Amino acid sequence: MAKLRDMAKVIRSKNAGALQFTLDVMFEDPATYEKVRDSGELTPRKLAPLYGVTDNEVAVIPFDVAYAIKITLPRKIPSGSPGDTDIYGAQQHAPLLDIEVAD
Amino acid sequence: MKPIRMFAATGMLGYGYAEESIETALSMDLDLIAADAGSMDPGPYYLGAGTAFVSRPAAKRDLALMMEGGAKKGVPVFIGSAGGGGGDPHVDWLMEIVREIAAEKGLHPKVAVIRSEQSKDMLKAKAKAGKIAPLGPIGELTEDEIEGSHRVVAMMGPEPFQKALEDGADVVIAGRASDAAIYAAIPLMRGADPGLAWHLGKIIECGAQVAEPRLGGDGVIGTLYDDYFTVEPGHPEKRVTRTRVAAHTLYENPSPYHLKEPTGLVDTTHADFTQLDDRTVKVTGSHFEPANRYTVKLEGVRSLGYRMVSMAGTRDPILIDQIDTYVDHCKERATFEVGQLGIEPGTFRINVHVYGKNATMGAIEPVKETAAHELGILVDVIGDTEEISKAVCAKMRYILLHGDFEGRMCISGNMAIPFSPSDMTVGPVYEFSVWHVMECDHPLEAVRMEMEAL
Repeated sequence: MAKLRDMAKVIRSKNAGALQFTLDVMFEDPATYEKVRDSGELTPRKLAPLYGVTDNEVAVIPFDVAYAIKITLPRKIPSGSPGDTDIYGAQQHAPLLDIEVAD
Repeated sequence: MKPIRMFAATGMLGYGYAEESIETALSMDLDLIAADAGSMDPGPYYLGAGTAFVSRPAAKRDLALMMEGGAKKGVPVFIGSAGGGGGDPHVDWLMEIVREIAAEKGLHPKVAVIRSEQSKDMLKAKAKAGKIAPLGPIGELTEDEIEGSHRVVAMMGPEPFQKALEDGADVVIAGRASDAAIYAAIPLMRGADPGLAWHLGKIIECGAQVAEPRLGGDGVIGTLYDDYFTVEPGHPEKRVTRTRVAAHTLYENPSPYHLKEPTGLVDTTHADFTQLDDRTVKVTGSHFEPANRYTVKLEGVRSLGYRMVSMAGTRDPILIDQIDTYVDHCKERATFEVGQLGIEPGTFRINVHVYGKNATMGAIEPVKETAAHELGILVDVIGDTEEISKAVCAKMRYILLHGDFEGRMCISGNMAIPFSPSDMTVGPVYEFSVWHVMECDHPLEAVRMEMEAL
């Protein structure tokens, strides 16, 4: 097993508008990308609990030309509303770092 | 079709670009100099308050070089989402800068000013006619919500820019606009492939984010041909790479394959990215799926009151072990004590962010037990009025400092407070209340345009 942080080149989060977060996991080579894409570890069912949302609220979208996997999910609190902690949504990626994938 | 070449000076007017970059662009056949100037990423405040999130000197410097270049070369200059939020005060702010630049540089452009702030009457009529729908996880836009809103803008498409050019504008200062539409306007007027025109716009609107090395803001040059487009850096020492261009298609979008624009959907499912030479990337295969209705995105905020914040730290391990209970206790105590001042519980809210524990991810933070030897505490108070907010914040600061907790040994103060004064005024608070799409009868319905000859 290997951790996602040791396989990917970029693991980032950002707002996609004021109501959603979008997380991008990007790889340097197609082999590692395909291994992770096909591993079954980055699925709505596995990711939803990490972000306190339900399976059907999570979209996981592989983007082959960029060797990247995009994950989009709703914010619990819209950007800048009372109680929000991260206006830009730039620091919501940490739960992905330690996801284990068979290598 | 003659190739169409456009210089995207910077990803955000005021974030800067190198003079070498615009010089490179000006040395080529050129059809447009443009920049996006806005975003909702900095949150609801700037739209609400009508202020920019870049500094005035930074916006002026970036725009002055563009206007001078445009005048010298005889090509139009487009600014979209003026002033950041793209509301009327934002447009006014940038127009003042435009007039100042023109006077200082001896320029005499014909300026089209396009406003896209929406009236409540217009929104109510549209909502009543069923022409407004939620965009993402938000409720229907009710009449009460419209009435209670503070400022709402519509994101215009390329047509207002096209109309401005037809009317003879040299410079276009537009309110809230689709970033990509700024760059799709001229190609679409000239009959370019819409899939390529929109995709090119989407890629270059962030400026040199697709270029390496990434040293500050900078410009890129996009050139559209019959069946492909290229992206290259303005700066002679930078490179645009295939990886960055492909990755940019992902950036800030919920989906990499579909991008919603007023007249339809940009589909990049079959887009192909090729490194043409060291510094240029070629893109083919982007497709456009026209919609049967013209829609614009609406963004709006409502006013929430007034914010005060106070910062403190604790280095006490006995307190750190029970910080959540202690913070809850302090909130209850502050609520009780301000009640004695006649401040009702429904007139304010207290949020406490505990840095070192879960201030970044809040309730979804997976690490439940902090290993930190000190914690940062940020008290965030939003009150209905300035007076309420100040009174509640002062109570919270005092109670955090001197409140009691189990096993307490540090009885002369629980917090290290870094500043005097210790409570900081943030000011008016807004929140996003409108995040919808509105159907228009025609592409110019949601905008107002005027011409100003300088």
